[in-house]
Formats: sequence, C-alpha cells, structure tokens
Amino acid sequence: MRAAALLLALLAWPAQAAWEWSAPLAVNSVQGAAIFPHLESANRRGVAVSGDTVAVVWEDNRDGSPHCYLATKPAAAAAFQPEIRLSQGDCYEPVVAALGDGRFVAAWEEAGRAHARVLPGGAALKLSDTEAAQVTLAVAGERMYAAWAEQAGRFRRIVVARLALEGDALSVKTRRPVEAKKPADEQGWPALAAKKDGSVTVAWEDRRDRHTVPMVSYSRDGRRFARPARLTDQASGSMDGLGAGTGAMRPTLAAWGEKGIAAAWLDKRDFLSGYDVYAALDGGTRRFGKNIRVQDSFGDNMVQWHATVVGDAGGRLLALWDDPRDGTPDVWLSEWDGKAFGDDLAVPAASGPGAQSDPVATLDAAGSLHVVWLDRDEAAGTGIRYARAVWR
Amino acid sequence: MKRIGVMLAASFLWATTVLADPPPGYPFVGYDAGLAAARASGKPIFLYFGRYGCAWCDHTNKQTFSDASLKKLYTKNYVLVYVDAESGKRLTLPSGERITEAELGVRLQAFATPLFVYLTPQGDKIVQIPGFKTVQDFREYDRYVRGGHYKQKSLLEFLGDKP
Repeated sequence: MRAAALLLALLAWPAQAAWEWSAPLAVNSVQGAAIFPHLESANRRGVAVSGDTVAVVWEDNRDGSPHCYLATKPAAAAAFQPEIRLSQGDCYEPVVAALGDGRFVAAWEEAGRAHARVLPGGAALKLSDTEAAQVTLAVAGERMYAAWAEQAGRFRRIVVARLALEGDALSVKTRRPVEAKKPADEQGWPALAAKKDGSVTVAWEDRRDRHTVPMVSYSRDGRRFARPARLTDQASGSMDGLGAGTGAMRPTLAAWGEKGIAAAWLDKRDFLSGYDVYAALDGGTRRFGKNIRVQDSFGDNMVQWHATVVGDAGGRLLALWDDPRDGTPDVWLSEWDGKAFGDDLAVPAASGPGAQSDPVATLDAAGSLHVVWLDRDEAAGTGIRYARAVWR
Repeated sequence: MKRIGVMLAASFLWATTVLADPPPGYPFVGYDAGLAAARASGKPIFLYFGRYGCAWCDHTNKQTFSDASLKKLYTKNYVLVYVDAESGKRLTLPSGERITEAELGVRLQAFATPLFVYLTPQGDKIVQIPGFKTVQDFREYDRYVRGGHYKQKSLLEFLGDKP
C-alpha cells in the first residue's frame, strides 16, 4: 500500500512542478506621467544575469530626450540599485549580455551609431563608422558578437562584428556584412545566438521579397556567412495578383541545449487575427525545421505582440509575449516540452487588471527565469517590473 | 541607354504594382510631419496604417483610392499620414512618447491591415476602421468626421441613421 502511494506520488510529482515566482520589484527609480520607458530592442535582450548580479537596460525620456539606462541588483537583494545612464546623446534600444563574474556588456544606438561598453567600468566604444541602428549582442564563453542594421546605400543591411575584451576595454576584431552585396531592400532588427565553439547564428527582418520575411544565416567564426535562408516556411507571392505575401517581423534567437538554436517571431500568416507567435528550431544541423505555432488556442483569435525566446544549456526553452485575451495586455509564457509548446501561462505579477506588456527575459545558469516587463499606468507613469521564477 | 531606360521604367512599374504602399498620387507624409501639418492647418488627419506587401492594402489602393473624386476630397480636406505596420521608424505621439511605427499598431490594437484612423488636428483618435472599404464608405466616413457627428454618436449609429 505504501509502495503504491509512493509510486502515485512519484507519478504525480512532475505534473505538479511549476514556476514559483518571487514578488515583483520596481526597476526604474524615476517614474512620471510624461516619462515613457521602453524595453524594445533587437532580439529583446533587456535583462541578463552574470554571476550573482541581475542587470536590466531600457530607454526613457526623463531628461527631456531619450537616454539609455542600466540598473543592477545582487540576485538576493530586495531592490535594484539606482540606475546609471549609459548614453551622452539621444539613445535607443539598448541591450545587455552577461560576461560572467558580475560583469556585463551593454550596447545601444546613440547619435545614429552603434555603441558598446563593458560594465562596471569600461568606456563606450563606437562599433559602426556609418549610420547604424538596432544593435544586439550575444556572448558564449570567450566569444562575443554584436550585430546591427547599417546603412548601405539606399537601404540598411545586417553587419555582424566579433568583439574582443581585454580588461575593461572592448575592441572590434572583425566586422562583416552577412551579405557582401548591397541590399535590394530594407533589412533590420537582427538577432544573434552564439555557441561556445565560436559559431554564431544571425536572424533579421528582410524585405527583399517585397514583404517582411525573417531570414537567418550562420557563421563558424563571424567572418564568412552562409547564404541566407528563410525562417518562415510561408512562401512569398501575391494573392490573386495583389500584394507580395503575409508579414512576419521581429525575429528573436536563443541558444538552447548543447547545440540547438531556437527562433521565435511575430507572424501574420493568419491575417485576420493579427500577429501570432511562431517558432522554429535548429537542433544543431544549421537548418531550422518547420514552423511551430507557439500560443495555445485561447490566444488564437487575439493579436500577440513583443515575442521573445529564451533558452539555456540544460535544454529548457520558453517563449514569452503579451496579448490582451483577458481584456487587457498581460505577459504570457509557453514552454517547449520536446514536441510542442505547452499551455500558455500568465506571468502572475504581469497579469490581471491594468496593462502589462513588452516582456524581456533570460534563464540563468541555475535554470531560474528572470522576467522584466512594462507596467503601464497613465497617471503614475509606466513602471519597469522584475520577477524571478524557480521551477519547483 | 534606351534599353536601360526601359528596364528602369519596367522595374518602377513592377514596384508600384506589387508594393502595398500608400496609393500613388496622394500626398501622404510621415506621422510627425502630418501631426505638425494638421496642428498648423486645423485639418483632421486621415492615417493609413498599411503593411509592406499587404494584399488588401493593394486591393484598396486599386479599387478605391484610384477614384479621382475621392482623391480630390481627401487631398483637399485631410492631412494624409501613412504608417508602415512593421517599420522601426520613430514617431512621437501627442503625449510626447516616442515609439516606432510598428508599436503604433500595438497601441491601436491593430489586428489587420489596412487600418484607417481618423484623428483630430491635435492627434486624438476619432474612429478607426479596418479592412477593405469602398469609395462610398470613405465618403460616409468623411461626412461623419468633418460633419462633427462623432461628437454625438458612434460611427455605427451614424451609419444606421442613413435613410
């Protein structure tokens, strides 16, 4: 009898495991009705965990013009330390990545150029000589990459740089466009995923087919890139002679498991219900498989926004986004179970009355999930909130 | 040289027929320029929220906005603003918040393109209407907006009052 009870308990245990969330914390120390913080960035890399320190980056206009800020806290601390300003001039779409031992690298657009800096300490480095925007970062072991959208004639194209670090000093070791030829139409919003073997995968929005298509390429070393492939398995083409194809935008990438890369993006293939979250997985073959719809049926007739994907070396993989299926925008997550993305779960502190949106997230080395989002309040001003979840 | 000219003309024709951008010949401007022009002129804003490559935008452009009298009516009486649903181009809302054109779709909860939004000269939303619409539809919306009926009734109520 006891053995049977133990067996039942063991069988039931995995089903009862769930994310256990900490109380939400305020990240930005300055709020106001006319202060507008934003977490938007290429690959939505607005939070990182390095050693025992959490870092969050964002942009807001508290000083009368847009500037980028970074706030940190020790993982066990009950509050974030007051933020520091990263930029001197107008700044947009900052990202942050972990370097280990409590150190970070941040990147942002300032005065029409991509910049990066190591924190704490370090000086800002201009990454691009020509007009650039939508910079992002990826770090794996000793290897560090940045990517951005850079003006090349009439349109922007994607450039990937390998960065080197000596002490607190960053430098650009190599800087290569994914394609040598001038772009035929606009490219933007790059996403990166790096592996410890030095390889890097880059995805971006591309309009060469006269509509927006997420594309992807791969390089063993950041010097030579494979011919771009489409992430979406939807063909381009007009409908009864009209238009050029459905839209798909803002691809995000995450390294996942030992060899895998996951991609997620917003996809309008069902054009009457707004954007849905779609994903594709590369198990290590450098080829992404068929597209997978992420959100569950309860989110089908609802428009999804601000999708991001996060993974860890242990094989955990999650997608997060916001949608208003319960009346107001809430932050949702769905976890890959090996065959499909599971039921959508509302992030407790980022759901319910009011508008909670724009999630950015990361998984730390212990598998804890760190989520940051915007909590909109027209009277009090928009707050940036943070919560950590542990799988128990 | 002549051959290059023919190729350029052909590529231009291809671009204008395939792309779902604003309808040709209309003086559409960006959001910030349009808001400034509307404030200066006192004209309401007609905001076309379209998507690059969007089939229904293309259809609306060809079937509806090709009408010369509609073009005259809207060009004369509105500040025409075009916003690209997937663009990272920046704009500043009347509140002072700076967002991207794509993010404007989030704020409008846009679920389909084209989406047509009528705004006061100060940039406050009057009404938003998704999907393909006819010339007659746009004439009715114009009566609703410029006649000031939106101050008393919803668009549906206004359209229901028609004889």
